[in-house]
Amino acid sequence: MSVSPAVAVEDLVVRLKEFLEANLDRAREIQIDNVAPITAGNARQAWEFDVRWLDGGTRRKVSCVMLRKAAAGQLETDLLPEFRVVRALWGSGVPVARALWIDAEGRWLERPSFIMEKVAGVTDFLALLKPEMAASSRAIARQLAAIAATLHAVDWKKLGVDFLPATTPQTAAAQQISYWESLFLKHRMEPHPVMVAAFIWLKKRQPIAHTIGIVHGDFRLGNFLYEGDRINAMLDWEMVHLGDPVEDIAWAYRSLWGPQAFFSLDEFVERSTELSGIPGDPEALLFYRLLSEVKHSIISLTGARSFMDGRTRNLFLADRASTITTYLKQFLDLLPK
Amino acid sequence: MTKPSIGDLLSAVAAGLRESVLPEIPAGPTRRQIQVAISIIRRASLVWDKVGPYLYADNKDIEETLRRISPLLDRAESNESTADLKPLCQKLRATLDQSDEPGVEYPSPATLGARNVELQGSLAELQEALHAESCKPPEGSQRPPSAERVEILAMLRALFERMLERELEVTTPSAARK
Repeated sequence: MSVSPAVAVEDLVVRLKEFLEANLDRAREIQIDNVAPITAGNARQAWEFDVRWLDGGTRRKVSCVMLRKAAAGQLETDLLPEFRVVRALWGSGVPVARALWIDAEGRWLERPSFIMEKVAGVTDFLALLKPEMAASSRAIARQLAAIAATLHAVDWKKLGVDFLPATTPQTAAAQQISYWESLFLKHRMEPHPVMVAAFIWLKKRQPIAHTIGIVHGDFRLGNFLYEGDRINAMLDWEMVHLGDPVEDIAWAYRSLWGPQAFFSLDEFVERSTELSGIPGDPEALLFYRLLSEVKHSIISLTGARSFMDGRTRNLFLADRASTITTYLKQFLDLLPK
Repeated sequence: MTKPSIGDLLSAVAAGLRESVLPEIPAGPTRRQIQVAISIIRRASLVWDKVGPYLYADNKDIEETLRRISPLLDRAESNESTADLKPLCQKLRATLDQSDEPGVEYPSPATLGARNVELQGSLAELQEALHAESCKPPEGSQRPPSAERVEILAMLRALFERMLERELEVTTPSAARK
């Protein structure tokens, strides 16, 4: 049975109040206002709201965004690692929203959810691809390269994110292949011989990483909040892992959303390498560009399967399998002759 | 009955939803869901009559390619000392023999689809078997892949290019790309 938006908001307010009463020390008179759903990715449902409370004698207010794990979707990752990485990166030089509270099991908020401080800006990447935006977009892409450099060079052991699955320069590529292949085998609805060929090619040409760093996993235009020509916060950390930093650069430059029209891949690699000291090995870059096409195909396949199995009624996922052809075509186009 | 065709019907439903329903729905998640539904109906209106011919052409192309690959596979099996491709050769022949069985004159898209899945399965198995064989530790020094394997892989790659080109016409029809 569907729930009307008004009932959903009322229910959420009650749940949020109970959750914050349990998690905000010494807080009294907790008040929640301006609750509204906002657009987010297909893996998370997002809500914004304001929280006011009395802390001793001081009145406090924070504007928040809450991400709730979708019932089923195109990515089925846990929220806790994402929350812990974002929290650890606060103050590291990588722009992120301040991670505030998490209900990892969905005990209070019905489903696993976490709450961050709201950050100003928009995510609209189509606006950045308009020719008249070229100057701002170029500045943003340059900043994105600098953010990549900061993220990839950060001392992740010191940052305390070693709860992420361990990897080595020798195994980073194999772990990604194995992760995505297991999802492929689990969710495919037909044999997909081209995808089988793609995995065989990838297995034969695994690069050795120059270094292991934090890989955002969905590092691209559209996954950050910006104002004018300034990036305020990187979003959508649900695929974060330890791995080869080249992976993020390859993903950022997929033809579907890459900034190549105003900031070339070579410029991005040069800028990022200059700031991080991590070289953008061309063979590794090609490998991860190819893996990116496979990865997006499998994300689409997972979403389509969730819809066809009736685990979600999100229509965005219904026809996602039809996008795979384009991604696999791109794979073959990128493949050396 | 030929009019309205399923395509005409779906196209008109998509137009009706876009022109008279969508404007009544305020911005937000519900409106976005309706927009997605309209695009899906529109795609269905463009490809509903192309699926049968697509599957027919795809099956024919895969079968013909596998028929050309079959003798190469037999040669690889007898020439390569490490190869154990006999079960694969037999299975491939059995799959191809099925296409010679007398069938109905006009197979339905569902029948063509079932055959397509079977042929896709053969292509996947063929590659997995060749890959597993190439991963076996060589006896003595490392040898380059045999001429048969090189030829099979080139034929598969060319087939995959054609398959994806064909598939694009139903997953992303040119009218929807405009």
